[in-house]
Amino acid sequence: MFLTIFNNPLPVAELVDKTTEWLTKTFSGLFGLVQDLGNAVMNVMTDTLLFFPPIFVIVLLTGLAYLLSRKKTPKAFGLALFTFIGLLFIDNQELWVDLMNTLSLVVVASILSVIIGIPLGIWMAKSNRVQQIVNPILDFMQTMPAFVYLIPAVAFFGIGMVPGVFASIIFALPPTVRFTNLGIREVPRDLVEASESFGSTGQQKLFKVELPLAKDTIVAGVSQTIMLALSMVVTGSMIGAPGLGRGVLSALQKADIGSGFVNGLSLVILAIIIDRMMQLVNVKSQNPLPPLLKKALSGLALVLLLLPSFASFFGNSKAAKKDTINLAYVQWDSEIASTNVLAEVLRQEGFEVEMTPLDNAVVWKSLADGSMDTSMSAWLPVTHGDLFAEYKGKLEDLGPNLEGVALGLAVPTYMAVDSIEDLTSQADSAITGIEPGAGIMASTDNALSAYANLSSWTLEPASTGAMVTALDKAIKGQEDIVITAWSPHWMFAKYDLKYLEDPQKVFGDGENIHTLTRQGLAEDKPEAFQIIDQFYWTKEDMEAVMLDIADGMSEEEAARKWIKANPNKVAEWTKS
Amino acid sequence: MEKLEIKQLTKIFGKRQKQALKMVKEGASKTDILKKTGATVGVYDANFSVKEGEIFVIMGLSGSGKSTLIRLLNRLIEPSSGDIYINGQDIAKMNKEELREVRRHSINMVFQNFALLPHKTILENTEFGLELRGVPKEERQKLAEKALENSDLLAFKDQYPSQLSGGMQQRVGLARALANDPEILLMDEAFSALDPLIRKEMQDELLDLQERVQKTIIFITHDLNEALRIGDRIALMKDGKIIQIGTGEEILTNPANDFVREFVEDVDRSKVLTAQNIMIKPLTTNLDIDGPKVALNRMRNESVSMLMAVNRKRQLQGVVTADQALEAARHHRTLTEVVTKDVITIAKDTLVTDILPLIHDSSSPIAVVDDNDRLAGVIIRGRVLEALAKDTD
Repeated sequence: MFLTIFNNPLPVAELVDKTTEWLTKTFSGLFGLVQDLGNAVMNVMTDTLLFFPPIFVIVLLTGLAYLLSRKKTPKAFGLALFTFIGLLFIDNQELWVDLMNTLSLVVVASILSVIIGIPLGIWMAKSNRVQQIVNPILDFMQTMPAFVYLIPAVAFFGIGMVPGVFASIIFALPPTVRFTNLGIREVPRDLVEASESFGSTGQQKLFKVELPLAKDTIVAGVSQTIMLALSMVVTGSMIGAPGLGRGVLSALQKADIGSGFVNGLSLVILAIIIDRMMQLVNVKSQNPLPPLLKKALSGLALVLLLLPSFASFFGNSKAAKKDTINLAYVQWDSEIASTNVLAEVLRQEGFEVEMTPLDNAVVWKSLADGSMDTSMSAWLPVTHGDLFAEYKGKLEDLGPNLEGVALGLAVPTYMAVDSIEDLTSQADSAITGIEPGAGIMASTDNALSAYANLSSWTLEPASTGAMVTALDKAIKGQEDIVITAWSPHWMFAKYDLKYLEDPQKVFGDGENIHTLTRQGLAEDKPEAFQIIDQFYWTKEDMEAVMLDIADGMSEEEAARKWIKANPNKVAEWTKS
Repeated sequence: MEKLEIKQLTKIFGKRQKQALKMVKEGASKTDILKKTGATVGVYDANFSVKEGEIFVIMGLSGSGKSTLIRLLNRLIEPSSGDIYINGQDIAKMNKEELREVRRHSINMVFQNFALLPHKTILENTEFGLELRGVPKEERQKLAEKALENSDLLAFKDQYPSQLSGGMQQRVGLARALANDPEILLMDEAFSALDPLIRKEMQDELLDLQERVQKTIIFITHDLNEALRIGDRIALMKDGKIIQIGTGEEILTNPANDFVREFVEDVDRSKVLTAQNIMIKPLTTNLDIDGPKVALNRMRNESVSMLMAVNRKRQLQGVVTADQALEAARHHRTLTEVVTKDVITIAKDTLVTDILPLIHDSSSPIAVVDDNDRLAGVIIRGRVLEALAKDTD
């Protein structure tokens, strides 16, 4: 009886799935409300930040940095100078919008962490029992890999800013809670006794003695929380959180070292500025501000507070345009090409377009729950067959937008194998793959079990960019490599590659790329739906765009170039 | 009616209190109880009452339970059993709100380490009790400023505690309690953290203050001299129990048991009392280094008119009086030339009874020296008489 436990795995995963599902269903109203509210708040905030010209915000933040440094030593320009140059650099790299998105995300996540964390920390400090219960939970929260939070975050709040904030809070909350608890518990015993002996109520003791004395410790905790929230920005971008994280992630997926570095550096600059400012907040002021300056500053703060309403007012007047279309895509080079072209066409027709890069499985999920409008990236019938089966009936399949794609295992032409069945122990019996959630990975897993000669082979997941980089390295060293490949893709134009024959047809027999939309898009946004439905092009079209991007042209530019060159095709899509 | 009355007050810390209580009743010692049950006896069966305007001192060694006892009086520590009556009202039976009212209005505390709030100014600290009560800002500032004025601290009202010396900080602590105008003042080793000189000053100040304000004061100390100086009555504690209560005189005269006798150093042993028991620290001048001006300066600082003269090795060379030093300074001579060499010296183990005739004849103090002729201490007339007076009790 007892031994059976060891023979069969306990159904923990199943249990968690069921629980999450139940939660999602039961509280869908609440989650939806939180999502809408959260999105509204974040949008107002980002709009406000973007309402001002960057140079104005830069000067403002530089001034703030100077005033804070001034507290410490009257003549400190270091931080102010760093802030000014750093932010100018980010603006110069055209990452300003991303920076402001990141800033909103970090600020909201941090504020919420503080709102939740400080009371929880106080409660912990007041009760040993609560401390015993909460401490292990905090340990669990901090050691659990952050990726794990993304899954329920998407289930609860769809995609975009809100789940990013949710995941950031879970990840970043512990330091604030711990330090608040610690700070209050460290208040000298005799001071607590003194306030009690004078007849303070619990509240008076907390606000007049404990919190003021624990302040420094609490601020240190909050700084840590902010840094952790910042580090979650990159992770959160996998589920659609906009900002600098997206740049880092897509650089990883496209193996684009330069742009990854620039995005990463921008994050570092932001982190340093925030961290130093937080440290300075804690310093006792030795140089109080002259009253006139104080007045001016508080006036400015008031203006800043009132402006969001103006900004949203102007924003509304701008939104008198046509609908906003939310495009979801995976950052594979093929999908980057098609999504950018579609986005550009829709823009030229007067729509607002939001493009959200996501992990493949999340794309399907976002269409199923209606948080995204459409995606051009379904490889059917085989590659994404299991996803299609899972979400069947929850989204609309508009049929192919590109026919006759190939996928399978590919090798450089200098290798002597021609069929999957010829593989013995080349390339260390390993297949270099892409993101673990991609459809082709599932197909390759099937191939490993379908072909007897692959029984000892392994599939190494990575990312699309990492795979291409590994391929580049192998070809330069004339080494063996087996990759998961698909076309259209520019790697076939750049390198001499060949597909291995697939006698068992594990990788399907000629795939098509389909367009998917959420349910009800045809009724909600008929004009856009018309264009999306009529979008259709060929492998050659796609590869033209892909090559331009691979050669360093920006994605939008490559899309515009193609549209200019193919007016007839575009006219086919846009005719009503 | 008594201002404060304690009946059968007991506090046991930790678990298995019943068993510990049983053992205490049987007279087991604190250590045995801790070993057996894991419970600590803080205070056991304390009974006493304090009159209005009295300074009641609780004395004992560390660990005797005096700090626990004082915290039981305002229930910073919850009593295990017993009653505490203030003006006939039982504090131990009060609920939180009633207790808070008592703490706000009738009983306040001064702490050993001052317990001032570092983030508040001296004025804000002083008005802290009034602030908790909800007294309007204007009024409480006025009261706090008055309290600070009484202790000569008004000039420092905008400074922070860290900028003040220990003695000043404790005066602020006292002002904080007095600004509240409580009926009872609890002082938990209030002067123990201060250096002896400041301590003495503070004791005098407290006595002056008591003449003016007539508070009921419960004062805790481990220092017998302090207790004798300021206490109207003294309670002596050991292992959580009160051993004896009485005036200083009573305790010195009729110690209840050997412990008390030892504690108050009531040594009925003058027969074996030797020079080293009664000698005091000598005030010296080093002939090899100091000149007459330095010697005069030292006399002025220590308010004495003579110094013991030693050499570099602390060996006794004689005595220098103020007149001699002045003489030397006028005629530019060294101290060595004016020093009086004939000083009566005795060994450390000379009996007090033998010293008496010597000191009677000597105008200068008697020097106590060790085997190497090094000066260990001096004996002055008062100490000998004191020692012998105890002998005749």
